[in-house]
Amino acid sequence: MSADLEFVEGRVTHDAVPEEGTVGQVRAWRLAVDVFLENKLALAGAVMIVLIVLFCFVGPLVYHTDQIHTNIEEATLPPSWDHPLGTDDVGYDQLGRLMVGGQTSLEVALGAAAVAIVLGVIWGAVAGYVGGFVDSFMMRIVDAILAIPALFLLLFLAAVTTPSVPLLIGVVGLIAWLVPARLVRGETLSLRTREYVQAVKVMGGGPTRIVTRHIVPNTIGTVMVNATFQVADAILLVAALSFLGLGIPPPAANWGGMLSNGLNYTYSGYWWLIYPPGIAIVLTVVCFNFIGDALRDAFEVRLRRR
Amino acid sequence: MSVGDGTVLAVEGLKVDIELRHSTVHAVDDVSFTIAARETVGLVGESGCGKTTIGLAVLGLLPVGGDIVGGSIRLGGDDLTAFDEDAMLRVRGNRIGIVFQDPLTSLNPTMTIGDQVGEPLRIHRGASARAARGSAAELLALVGLPAPQRQLDRYPHELSGGMRQRVSLATALACEPALLIADEPTTALDVTTQDQILELFARLKDELGMAVLLITHDMGVVAGQADRVLVMYAGKLVEAGGTDSIFYEVRHRYTEALLESIPRMTTSRSEPLYSIPGQPPDLSRPPGGCRFAARCAYATDECRAAVPPFFGEPAHLFACIHPVEAAAA
Amino acid sequence: MTAYLIRRIAQALVVLLLVTVIIFVMLHELPGGTARAVLGERATNDAIAQFNAQHGLDNPLPLQYWNWLSETLQGNLGFSYKQNETVSQLLSERLPKTALLAGLSVMLALVIAIPLGFLQALRRNKPIDYVLTGAAFIFYSTPAFWLALVLITLFAIHWHVFPAQAPQGSVSNILSQPSGLVLPVATITLVSVAFYSRYVRSSTLENLMQDYVRTARAKGASTSRIAVRHVLRNALVPVVTLVGLSLPFVFAGTLISEQIFNYPGMGLLFYNAAVARDYPVLLGVTLVVGTATVVGSLLADLCYALLDPRVRYVKS
Repeated sequence: MSADLEFVEGRVTHDAVPEEGTVGQVRAWRLAVDVFLENKLALAGAVMIVLIVLFCFVGPLVYHTDQIHTNIEEATLPPSWDHPLGTDDVGYDQLGRLMVGGQTSLEVALGAAAVAIVLGVIWGAVAGYVGGFVDSFMMRIVDAILAIPALFLLLFLAAVTTPSVPLLIGVVGLIAWLVPARLVRGETLSLRTREYVQAVKVMGGGPTRIVTRHIVPNTIGTVMVNATFQVADAILLVAALSFLGLGIPPPAANWGGMLSNGLNYTYSGYWWLIYPPGIAIVLTVVCFNFIGDALRDAFEVRLRRR
Repeated sequence: MSVGDGTVLAVEGLKVDIELRHSTVHAVDDVSFTIAARETVGLVGESGCGKTTIGLAVLGLLPVGGDIVGGSIRLGGDDLTAFDEDAMLRVRGNRIGIVFQDPLTSLNPTMTIGDQVGEPLRIHRGASARAARGSAAELLALVGLPAPQRQLDRYPHELSGGMRQRVSLATALACEPALLIADEPTTALDVTTQDQILELFARLKDELGMAVLLITHDMGVVAGQADRVLVMYAGKLVEAGGTDSIFYEVRHRYTEALLESIPRMTTSRSEPLYSIPGQPPDLSRPPGGCRFAARCAYATDECRAAVPPFFGEPAHLFACIHPVEAAAA
Repeated sequence: MTAYLIRRIAQALVVLLLVTVIIFVMLHELPGGTARAVLGERATNDAIAQFNAQHGLDNPLPLQYWNWLSETLQGNLGFSYKQNETVSQLLSERLPKTALLAGLSVMLALVIAIPLGFLQALRRNKPIDYVLTGAAFIFYSTPAFWLALVLITLFAIHWHVFPAQAPQGSVSNILSQPSGLVLPVATITLVSVAFYSRYVRSSTLENLMQDYVRTARAKGASTSRIAVRHVLRNALVPVVTLVGLSLPFVFAGTLISEQIFNYPGMGLLFYNAAVARDYPVLLGVTLVVGTATVVGSLLADLCYALLDPRVRYVKS
């Protein structure tokens, strides 16, 4: 209730900083959840993502297709009862391929995002906490890698090796950790001077304890927001890579590869090769973006500090 | 700009509601008072009692969801509650000036002091940039800033808290308003600066013949500066009178408790600080009777039955059925 | 202010140096080494050894780095055996064209995104905000190459308004056929607008919440005055840094756009080199792009300091 009363007095004052003890935190989380749930788009997005995940991972258990062996006789067939989304140029059933392809796309994206977050949080927290020259140097490294477009780095890598799913996860993750690192470092810098951190120091808490128990948990909001955007970006990045012909080679499927393959047939009118994977990509990415946006609004409410 | 008897601001039966996500808060409930030229009226109460809301309501700057749902606010001869936004634009910064609590965030960080202080003149008097700049320098001198010409081109973060508050004051006074509202003007400042700022207020009030509404939770500020005091609790006015009268002949039990909780130099160190037990009521569902009854040691059923009317004389009113005993005549 | 400037430039130099280190590491990690890449898979070990000795590839790493760095700084970026040209020659031909494409796209995107984001913030949660936000999200979430192909299908095939291929040749030649630039620029702009406008919107919203806006209202300033003279100025300050930071993103966009529209810029050069495993070119382009980004970031930060007086006095 007291959070509401601050609205009554007409402005967000300095007194509106949420208490940092557990009671204040619980109240602040509840407010954040409220704001998130109010965002209908984000809710719809979350539901959609769940459906998509089910489609990709549970779907093939129900709808069996052969995604390994090509079948030229059944190539480029339009949608029919046998093949609800038609077949592609080497005879793979599109619907089944969409499911399996989704598995790969989602795995890479989620895996890369996880790698990125873990690396980024560690790097950023250490840099932010230690400060000084070490921080400066660590951040310059981040700047340097950031200066090179991810696509360029990936293309270079693809020219040098043959991508596989684990390699892609590793590489995309190794590029994506930079932004979370920056964010966490910024947060750590400001959190480091908070009174409760000083209090832990006085109590004899060592740096590891302070960083892992007190600083990192308070960056969760920013990190979660960024994580959803990382997933969205990863999907697009891998799709671009496939388009440029340097993605995971067949018979492995992924949405980007399906889309770019289908685009070869733009003028042949084989729309079922283009729109299903394209829409799958856009839909998934949009949903993650909606969720990320709503999370950001929700956490802004919680972190109304200045 | 004032009615014949010198009254600058006359608030009558003001009611303000604020629509929140899931409820409506009755932030201000039937408050009436007047302020005359050269008079400082202190509006005191704890956080959330509605005092700032009154200040914002006078300016028509209630937050989203806030609405004046009853009563009138008369400035000179005009009822501000009947003014539309365009009319209010001509009142704000022109006939009414306001100084807010936090001088750092209240000032635009990327605008020079000179531009910000001169802005009301450019808006309301159509002053040219150069004329506004000249007037700004004069205003900065008026509020006691050293080397006013040099300050014109500085930015807010370059000044100290006290200086920034003077800048805010200069901005509020730019168009020589009839009414100055000061919302917790010294709360964000250290004690010595507080004193200086308050002295400044007093001096300028007399010089410019303004009416001043001083909103604060600090009884000490009120004791030193106000001619009259209005005590608010949970959206309602509970006691109103001359400053001496309120402090030395307090009647309402809430005011008594407020005064009691001011730490004194003479209190022995071993005595715990007195604080009023309990919490203010939820203003979306205010209690039927006296709003302070739940925390009052003297409350009876009569207090809880209906909102107490005002007792006493016009010079010192209090809405309390079991007030502090009046001193023997 | 000067202290800030010096500090930022020093930082940028360090970053640049690190970029060169990264490039060098990439160079060194080529499978089989440069020798094999140049001489081919079937080269004998002796030929490899000779090549290595000739090109100083058997020296200790730091020395190699130093040699490579000094060569690079003198403008010798290597030789492309596949294209039979020096890398610097290729780059100097292609760089201006990519700069043109990227520059036009970013400027156009900003010109559209700033008013758009601002409008969205002022009309927060009204229908127009939802529509524009929705559209922005969709554009931002669509793979650029699909967008490009949609544009081609619509504007080049169905309605013969713009050509599907970009003009070739020199910059002046390209500029003389502006209609050929429209679709390549549009592809990058559409995605960038979505990105920038979201940021402008949230920066504006953040500023609208600030106390100084309340003070401005209390002075009797009209909404338009507050919007333009107070909020817009403050809201745009972080956007400047954003533009600097978005350069890698823009370059990635040029890569795709150039590939699809056959635009003779660095992106296409890079792509062709990737397919052909032409490593010197790959590295040369990466170096140029990396440098451009660092410089761009630096300029953006300097603009930020110009716009926001608070920054000039903050100690790090």
